[in-house]
Amino acid sequence: MRAETGSNSWSSRPFPSPRRSMLRVAGVALGLLGLASCAAPPPKDPDALAEYKEANDRYEKLNRKAFGLTMWANKYTLRPVAKAYIWAVPRPLRNSFGSLYQTMNEPVVFFNDVGAGKPRRAGDAFVRWCINMTAGLGGLIDVANYAGYKHHDNDGGLTLATWGVPSGPYLFLPALGPSSFRDGLGYGLDVGLSPWNYVPRGYGLLTFNWAYNIMGTINGMATNVDALDQVMKDSLDPYATIRSAYQQQRKAMAEAIKNDHRATVPDWYHTR
Amino acid sequence: MQSSIPRRHALALLAATSAAMPVASAWAVDAGAQARSFVTMFGNKLVAIVNSDIALEKKKQDILPLLGQYVDVDAIGRYCLGRYWRTATPEQQDRYLKLFHQVLVNAITDKIGDYRGVTFVVGSSAPSGDDTAVSTVINRPGQPGADTQWIISTASGSPKVVDVVGEGASLRLTQRGDYTSFIARNGGNLDGLLRALDKQIANHH
Repeated sequence: MRAETGSNSWSSRPFPSPRRSMLRVAGVALGLLGLASCAAPPPKDPDALAEYKEANDRYEKLNRKAFGLTMWANKYTLRPVAKAYIWAVPRPLRNSFGSLYQTMNEPVVFFNDVGAGKPRRAGDAFVRWCINMTAGLGGLIDVANYAGYKHHDNDGGLTLATWGVPSGPYLFLPALGPSSFRDGLGYGLDVGLSPWNYVPRGYGLLTFNWAYNIMGTINGMATNVDALDQVMKDSLDPYATIRSAYQQQRKAMAEAIKNDHRATVPDWYHTR
Repeated sequence: MQSSIPRRHALALLAATSAAMPVASAWAVDAGAQARSFVTMFGNKLVAIVNSDIALEKKKQDILPLLGQYVDVDAIGRYCLGRYWRTATPEQQDRYLKLFHQVLVNAITDKIGDYRGVTFVVGSSAPSGDDTAVSTVINRPGQPGADTQWIISTASGSPKVVDVVGEGASLRLTQRGDYTSFIARNGGNLDGLLRALDKQIANHH
């Protein structure tokens, strides 16, 4: 499934290697084109229509297939691995890996903050990157957090949202998880914004990218596995539950970015 | 001397704005303050039980009266059924609410074991439709703080919780998505949902 870059379980994006990511972007683009031809007609009854609009899921049939496949694959692949990882690796170390992954994604957050016209957020992301890459030993320790620069999420989908781009119909992308037309496009933008994809290719970088992606994905799953298990167990229709929670969270995150008028100085400045 | 001029300006500005404030906002401030003190009181009671050293089973029992008193379970249940509440027969509504009570209690008491050494900070309040939203941050040792909003309604006569919003997702809205989708996929038949809830409760241990 997806890797964890922030506090929000459904918002984070994996951070793929160049070749895989290009393939994925191409796959997402092709998928989006193909979808246009297989939408279900909206219902006639006004109450049912209101429900249909709230779900925002024109491609439900296809999405449910992708969901079923992803959850089935997850059950036999990523989930057991993540469980073993939780068993073998103590929590502080897992937190460190999470922080490393988050720091490596900070450039994407930075460029998106700039794109969203939020220079102060961008500044925070930039300072977080500088502090954690040096004092934080490449991101293993979230020193910036203790210095008053707390992590915040941002991605291409949210940037487009701050520009007023509507989300478009909901999508469940195989292996990537819940998304939408806008967020799928934003995902493609993020791959382009990530500096790791522009570093000259070499065996060292390839090894780093694979290790980084695999570690990030497993760590992300480990962070979310209990929540996901609970949804699968407690929901009568887990697909609908995830669809609703994802769309609400994305909306709230876009709102939060729009309303973020943070000060230029970090927290510790005020407490002096 | 010089610094007193801006201060005088500021005072004049403050006086002018407070005089210009509409009377209605006084009520809003009251509703917000009332909701905040309610969340503080309810939260303190919950945290006292959750953090105590008594056995887990005893904790679960102690929490039940609190839920009955401070959470409007019936209102949440009605909301979660969406458009199917109106088309349900009174018998179906009764049966559904009984099952829903049990499902909600199970969901909450299942969580108690996960929360040890929990603290919370009550933040600001804001109107949310007819209700009031109170922001809190829930802190657990070794984990990032969780931004949680409590939606407080006074429709029943006294303040009660009608929704919890965690990281932007409303619990009752998400639950409604689950139930209505399940009903729609079972031919719009409410009895299918009631059977599924029955089964869920029977399988709970």
